[in-house]
Amino acid sequence: MPTVSVKWQKQVFTGVEIDTEQVPYVFKCQLYDLTGVPPERQKITVKGGLLKDDGDWENLGVKEGQRLMLMGTADEIPKAPEKGPVFIEDLPEDEQGTAALGHTAGLVNLGNTCYMNSTVQCLHSVPELRLALKEYSAAVGTGIDPLLHTLTAATRDLFGELDKSLRPVAPIHFLTVLRKKYPQFAQQTNHGLYMQQDAEECWTQLLYVLSQRLQSVPQDEEEATNPVVKHLFGIELKSFIKCAESAEESSESETVYTLKCHISSEVNHLHEGLKQGLKSELEKTSPILGRSTLHVKESHINKLPPYLTVQFVRFFWKRESNQKAKILRKVGYPLVLDVFDFCTEELRDKLKGPRKVYQETEDAKVGLKKKEKEGAEGVKALQNLGTSTSDENVEMVDDAGQHPSSSEKVCAPEPEVTGIYDLVAVLTHKGRSADSGHYVAWVKQDSGKWIEFDDEQPILQKEEDITKLSGGGDWHMAYICLYKARVALPH
Amino acid sequence: MAPENSKDSHAMDQDVQPPPSKLLPKEAKKKKEEKKDEDLSEEDLALKQQLELYVERVQDGDPAIQKMALEAMRQEIRTATSSMTSVPKPLKFLRPHYGTLKSYYEKMVDSELKRYLADVISVLALTMSEDGDRESLRFRLQGSIGDIGSWGHEYVRNLAGEIGNEFQQRQTDEQPVDDLMDLVKQIVPFHVKHNAEPEAVDLLMEVENLELLTQHIDKGNYKRTCSYLTSFASYVPEPDDTLVLDIAYQLYCKFEKYPDALRVALRMDNTQYVKSTFAACKDLLEKQQLCYILARQGVLLELDEELADNDEQRELLQELISNSKLSEGYLTLARDLDVMEPKTPDDIYKAHLVDGRASAGASVDSARQNLAATFVNAFVNAGFVQDKLMTAPSMESSTGSSSGSWLFKNKEHGKASAAASLGLIVLWDVDGGLALVDKYLYSNDNHVVAGALLAVGIMNCGVHNECDPAYALLFESVNKEDPTIRIGAIMGLGLAYAGSQKEEVLDLLTPIVQDSKVGIEVAGFAAMALGLVYVGSCNEDVAQSIVLALMNRSEAELGEPLARFLCLGLSLLYLGKQDAVDATMEVAKTFHEKISKYCQVTLDSCAYAGTGNVLKVQALLSLCADHLEKGDSHQAPAVLGIALVAMAEELGLDMAIRSLEHLLQYGEQNIRRAVPLALGILSVSNPKISVMDTLSRLSHDTDSEVAMAATVSLGLIGAGTNNARIAGMLRNLSSYYYKDPSLLFCVRIAQGLVHMGKGLMTLNPYHSDRFLLSNVALAGLMSFLHGSLDMKSIILGKYHYVLYFLVLAMQPRMLITLDENLKPLSVPVRVGQAVDVVGQAGRPKTITGFQTHTTPVLLATGDRAELATEKYIPLSSVLEGFVILKLNPDYQQDHLSS
Repeated sequence: MPTVSVKWQKQVFTGVEIDTEQVPYVFKCQLYDLTGVPPERQKITVKGGLLKDDGDWENLGVKEGQRLMLMGTADEIPKAPEKGPVFIEDLPEDEQGTAALGHTAGLVNLGNTCYMNSTVQCLHSVPELRLALKEYSAAVGTGIDPLLHTLTAATRDLFGELDKSLRPVAPIHFLTVLRKKYPQFAQQTNHGLYMQQDAEECWTQLLYVLSQRLQSVPQDEEEATNPVVKHLFGIELKSFIKCAESAEESSESETVYTLKCHISSEVNHLHEGLKQGLKSELEKTSPILGRSTLHVKESHINKLPPYLTVQFVRFFWKRESNQKAKILRKVGYPLVLDVFDFCTEELRDKLKGPRKVYQETEDAKVGLKKKEKEGAEGVKALQNLGTSTSDENVEMVDDAGQHPSSSEKVCAPEPEVTGIYDLVAVLTHKGRSADSGHYVAWVKQDSGKWIEFDDEQPILQKEEDITKLSGGGDWHMAYICLYKARVALPH
Repeated sequence: MAPENSKDSHAMDQDVQPPPSKLLPKEAKKKKEEKKDEDLSEEDLALKQQLELYVERVQDGDPAIQKMALEAMRQEIRTATSSMTSVPKPLKFLRPHYGTLKSYYEKMVDSELKRYLADVISVLALTMSEDGDRESLRFRLQGSIGDIGSWGHEYVRNLAGEIGNEFQQRQTDEQPVDDLMDLVKQIVPFHVKHNAEPEAVDLLMEVENLELLTQHIDKGNYKRTCSYLTSFASYVPEPDDTLVLDIAYQLYCKFEKYPDALRVALRMDNTQYVKSTFAACKDLLEKQQLCYILARQGVLLELDEELADNDEQRELLQELISNSKLSEGYLTLARDLDVMEPKTPDDIYKAHLVDGRASAGASVDSARQNLAATFVNAFVNAGFVQDKLMTAPSMESSTGSSSGSWLFKNKEHGKASAAASLGLIVLWDVDGGLALVDKYLYSNDNHVVAGALLAVGIMNCGVHNECDPAYALLFESVNKEDPTIRIGAIMGLGLAYAGSQKEEVLDLLTPIVQDSKVGIEVAGFAAMALGLVYVGSCNEDVAQSIVLALMNRSEAELGEPLARFLCLGLSLLYLGKQDAVDATMEVAKTFHEKISKYCQVTLDSCAYAGTGNVLKVQALLSLCADHLEKGDSHQAPAVLGIALVAMAEELGLDMAIRSLEHLLQYGEQNIRRAVPLALGILSVSNPKISVMDTLSRLSHDTDSEVAMAATVSLGLIGAGTNNARIAGMLRNLSSYYYKDPSLLFCVRIAQGLVHMGKGLMTLNPYHSDRFLLSNVALAGLMSFLHGSLDMKSIILGKYHYVLYFLVLAMQPRMLITLDENLKPLSVPVRVGQAVDVVGQAGRPKTITGFQTHTTPVLLATGDRAELATEKYIPLSSVLEGFVILKLNPDYQQDHLSS
């Protein structure tokens, strides 16, 4: 009965007796008690290899006091996950490129159609709109203008293709229908080439078409009064019109789809531009004076949409050159926009509640985080939370869009807008006039990354470069900005 | 005065029969001299006249007068003080009479006086005799026997030079040289006594009698002599270099400098000397130091009773030789430098510093990029026993598999490399590492098992364990059915037992190499493994079996990319063995033409690797000058061969870099593709700016294979240095090549290499002050490079685990000082750039631009360390790796500092 020492990992068990009468398996069981390694997983080095369960001690010549080495662990054997990961290399070759980028496809330029491509990409970034279009069907009936239907259907198909395809999409059908509906987009030069168009015009017309078709959901009354496009983009303005001479006042309400940012020599920032845009002077017949006088119109926002569209009025008609000239002035815009100042008193009252809730939840999380991180990274955490809460809220909006049924609305508290908006898409123009130059869409992805859609080519961009599109040079400058609301859940 | 003048002109005429064209300047000079005469000071004029008088008297008939004149002349010459720039005055004034004296000498009858005169003429010949006449020596031999040193140092030096020439002349004419040797025996002690050991060595080398040296060297000058001998050995052709080293070895032994003696013995690759050094060393502490040196070189010396006093001591020493302390020391260094925290590939890529588009948030995992991340993770965290992908405990403990999640993010053969990466992470820590790898050996995925087997091999690389776990675990899998598993086990064996010449491996693997039924890839890896295990051994059996395999395989098989490993395996057997390769070389000529030339070039370049043999470099260069028809592939290994041969010493290395620059400009594509790799190995882990710039330029080459090789080479030259400049270049490349997955993979690998071991490692096969070359490390580098010659089908294909061959060259670039109980001891050391002080007078500074640190410290390539305290004495003269310090008995605390 020789005694040996057994080395296992970094431990040494001394004085282990070997019963040479028994098969080595018994010895392994002894070691099982010491180490917890099951005998079948034990590997013991002896002369000429490993100790076999049924080996013969005689031949192995184990000496008194010899040191044996035991290898093996009781660790679980790693198993392959049931569903292995899909690798880029497994995808068909033509899909590899885009899959690596992690965003949807680009749109092929069909000859000066970048105005349309960038518009489509920007609108495509609104998930609610995509969803509404997906559910759109011809069953509603073609209505008065069949072209309205065909264009809506073409948009739906194009969006669907963009979602699916990993290669650049050629929007041929969409373009044909668009030109049929709005022949101005089919203008040609003397050489028979299609001309560049104003993206804003395309944007407005397209939204108009969609607003016409996407509202009619007859079976649900509430839905009918709450048409999709108007709900998503409609800004309700309340205007007071004051006659400068007679001091008479009147008020009116209107729904617009974009806020205009006027650019004058005093305007350096979006905020100032919007303020100017909401104030205007107009000539109007005064009922009291019985003649046309100068009126001052001052508008305030009465209802905020989930998506706020801001247009920089960069183009004006220049008579001498007979074209839409461009104002190159630099107008900064923020990644987070607060429109509280532009709201009516009533809306401000309404917003106070959600804003407070929003602020509280944010503070609470920041406070919590501060305790954890001992304040050192407080500022950073605040920023992170800012985005993370908005992400959560985005999901809530998604939910609301997906399940518009009234029953759910009752039980789940509806998220409320706070007047705070995040920038999600920018349509830029590069060049000197609206009908020339180049349009590009810059869209924020769900992952938080920005992609520049330059026709068929999607390019990754950094967030800080997005705010550099504010003009003042010959670089791309923002023309239309799309902001998305941050919302708060009431308690 | 008149006769003097005529003699003067006569002497001149006799002296030179100048061609007409030279006449004019000569005459002008003469005029000048005459003019000078008039400017002489009174003192000089007196001396001149005095000497002229002596010359006249020497020719006097009366021997007494003659003798007196000679004595006086002698006196004048000997006492004249000379400066560096001018000829001593007496010699100068005697110059015109050289001819006179010579012709008179011829007329004299043999006598003591004649010998006296011969002495004087011999001295005068120092300045007068024509090149190649060796008159100084001729008259010396006819002169009196006496202390030649009394004639001055310059005279002796001149004489030594003439002896060298004369000796060669007589050798060719087969004349006796005894009289010369007598003279040599006088000169050598003179040189040695006057701090001119290099001259003594040179003279003895000229007369091919270096053995004479030993009896003249004493305690005071053996260090300088040996340092000259050892560094001079690089420039001596074989077999004389061995002779030089032998003398150095004997000197070190004579003065009981065993660590230095051991280094020389290792350089000579002489096991007998290693053993006798070990046996001669009696001090236990010093023996332990010897063990550390042996461990660094990877020589596994089996200690027997003769070499160790008792069993306990033997066990202790054997443990040191087996290098089992390496992991511990490395981790000590890492803790001291505070780099224990594992790094992720993203920490290395530093994507936030790359502008714009480089990394889009990929929605789909890329297998290739995951594989790159696996390698980066392995190289960066090598040896730290923890990382964040493979060993990190998983968040969800329910699945229980800690690293399974990352492992299975790799595809097929990628999983093999992923599992094997675990071996690199636990490098050198066999006890702890086996426990981590164990579970993968039971996987039902063949790739995972293959990787786990390879991991076992990797972690055992460079360390030896008495229980031999690697062999026990691997040997059964070598003959499994699945080729992947076989390759894993075979390569594992090769790595674990590299350089050990373990016979079991030979018996196990030779049947596989010869078996023509197994795939060429399995046979190739088996040949490689054998080549590694028997590296530089010239083992007949291994050579035979690989040669047979190369002869029996079909043409198609020899065309496979992995067939090159058969050639390389064969060549590694002769690594550095020079003409021992000749027989195999002849056999290689009979191979199929597809592989024959490739094999010959590889054999040749391996055999002369690290010898600096200029003729071989030239031969290889001329191979590269040929413009080949398509299909021949031997030029690429020739380019690598240039680098291998020339890497021996700094001068040859710089010349090789320049030659490679030419190849880049004029070479064809297959040559250009190998040039970056050659540059990579020439300055491996040594980021020289010039090489860096060349490679940076090539990394943007239009030929993608050149670009790939250059990118990987950027990694090689920066390996383990954390060099910020290379890291920046690679980051830019990662953004430049973000769309090209193959090149991006290369960039990632290079990034992993640069940050290898978080900057604590080196790949340089040279160590111990660039004196010793580790065969195993060089073999590892070569395997990697030959694998990289066909980047597309090997590294970018299924055999990316070839990258793990680099582990053979991975070593910590550290200096750890130990106390007498072998515990780390912090002492201040100065670390700076090494200065070549060989053969310089006095005690010059050995380092420049140094900084003072406390150990453990990192040493870059070309750095040298010296203790900054007198309190301890290092047991090894070269401060690298593990160095034991003992207290200086003469040390006295400085009162001021205390």
